[in-house]
Amino acid sequence: MIILFNLFYQFGDALSFLLLAAIGLAVIFGMMKIINLAHGEFITIGAYGTVVSAKILKLPLPIAMAVGVLVTVIFGYILERIIIRHLYGRPLDSVVATWGISLIVSQSFLVIFGPSFEGLQTPLSNFQLGAYSYSQYRLLLILISISILILLYILFLKSNFGTLARATIENPKIASTLGVKVDKVYTVTFCIGSALAGLTGAIYAPTMTIVPSIGQAFIVSAFVTVVTAGASPFIGLIPAASFLSLIQTSVTFYYHATIGVLALLFSVILIIRFLPKGFSGLLIKLKK
Amino acid sequence: MLKKNNIFTISVFIVLLIIPILFDDFYINNISYFMIWTFISLGLALIWGMGGILSFGQTAFFGLAGYSFAIISINFSDIYAVGIWSPILALAITAIFGAIVGYFLFYGGIYDVFIGIVTLAITLVLETFMAQTAGPEWTVGNARLNGFNGMQGMPLIGIKIGEYKFDLQGIGQYYFIVFLAMFLLWLLYKIKKSNFGLILLASKEDRTRVESLGHNVKKIQMITFSLSALLAGVSGILYTNWGGYITPSSMGLIASAMPVIWVAASGKNDFFSVFFGCILLVYISQTLAVNGAQYAIILMGLILVIVTRYFPEGIILMLKKLLTNKFLSKK
Repeated sequence: MIILFNLFYQFGDALSFLLLAAIGLAVIFGMMKIINLAHGEFITIGAYGTVVSAKILKLPLPIAMAVGVLVTVIFGYILERIIIRHLYGRPLDSVVATWGISLIVSQSFLVIFGPSFEGLQTPLSNFQLGAYSYSQYRLLLILISISILILLYILFLKSNFGTLARATIENPKIASTLGVKVDKVYTVTFCIGSALAGLTGAIYAPTMTIVPSIGQAFIVSAFVTVVTAGASPFIGLIPAASFLSLIQTSVTFYYHATIGVLALLFSVILIIRFLPKGFSGLLIKLKK
Repeated sequence: MLKKNNIFTISVFIVLLIIPILFDDFYINNISYFMIWTFISLGLALIWGMGGILSFGQTAFFGLAGYSFAIISINFSDIYAVGIWSPILALAITAIFGAIVGYFLFYGGIYDVFIGIVTLAITLVLETFMAQTAGPEWTVGNARLNGFNGMQGMPLIGIKIGEYKFDLQGIGQYYFIVFLAMFLLWLLYKIKKSNFGLILLASKEDRTRVESLGHNVKKIQMITFSLSALLAGVSGILYTNWGGYITPSSMGLIASAMPVIWVAASGKNDFFSVFFGCILLVYISQTLAVNGAQYAIILMGLILVIVTRYFPEGIILMLKKLLTNKFLSKK
């Protein structure tokens, strides 16, 4: 029983990490076919926003997290207005430009805040089960990641904005002739993606060492999850993240963490070799 | 008779050949260092400019070649002419690895931004893997991998015949790199004009159409990818030889952004512009790095954003075209 719970805890922890790392990237990629290489730096901004407002402005943690998310959204909005919107329809160029942004942001953080910043304590306490000790906060993270997915699902499938957004993905030109403000849909989508990245940074900030390269801890996980999710990340995200975290957890359980990461990458390479359209492609095929 | 397109190339190489007469060893070594990076950039220009395939993981091949060279030459330092065959063997390993990665990418049907992400993931995983090899259990034969501090103390490229000994360093290294760059630029122009190059260029425009004409596009892309890995490997080996060390951070996120910046800013469609622009940009970031490396990286990031936003063709290529039109075109 305890071993089962332990496995569930490890699996849930890895799963929520992959989901939260990838979700912002997946929204932007799924809607706009743009891979935001500065995604990791958006997470960094969310984390620093939270830590700075909690430590220097002495705000309580939940409000500090909201500030972190808000700062990231503002940054994403400005970026979309100045640069990203000029690169729609040039996917490779948008990747290259966001990479430049990523370098600028991470190095600026290094200049402004120095190589490391005083971190926060993990909120909530630990509890004991058998020989192991578990963090309540990490259990909360699992719940948060699931509720975010449900909220996004409602937003994109049930709300008015969702209908406009799906019409825009399907065919931007026809959507705009029907009166959809395609530009606005893109801007809002980019802001939602930024908010999700900022949220990831904000809620993981109390569990990590705050360094300017904090976003890099997420970026590889985010990329591999989105890649294995395939062309429609909304459908493929959950199966891809579950599958990858299952592999990572079980290999880490039997060997050690580095081998777990290597196994993760190796399985990604195999998946894209045999399922080039990722898990979403597989699901769509099965449905037909 | 000179073709007008070649005037820039020839004048730059004449200047490069004269430089050792005018400057002392310190500058010659620095300029060698700048030129070492041109090979990885040329490889990226080949796959990105000609093939339309953007790889973010060229540094994986750079690091792989550097580490293979270090491991092989440390282990077999007693065997005759190790300084000749160890770099060649390391290049072969890199090219084969490039072909394997290329096979998975192109035969797996991965295209566009996904290629960038997969290649970036490969280089980051290699970095993570090498960075944790600090412990004594991570040795290959006699060579300690040394984790984050990287490997040192490998024998130089070179050969010893009887009493006579030639090591690749100083002015010899400088001329070797200049001639190698000349040869490779010539070779790349030949490839561009060949059937192979034309099919590659056409596949950038419309892959399906070229395939329906009966060409094996996947195979051509795989070979090109392997060639570009080979060129990145040349940089990796020369870098390891130049500084006498190779570290995991040469495969990290910042390091892998650099070739993309140099190539994008110079003009990815023209090999000469990439060669010249790369030297110039490495020089600029090296000079700035004296005042703090992070400022140099911020500037490089800015250059990348501004170039993709306003000069998608590349600055050096744009200037070259401007000069050609102004002075060399016959009305």
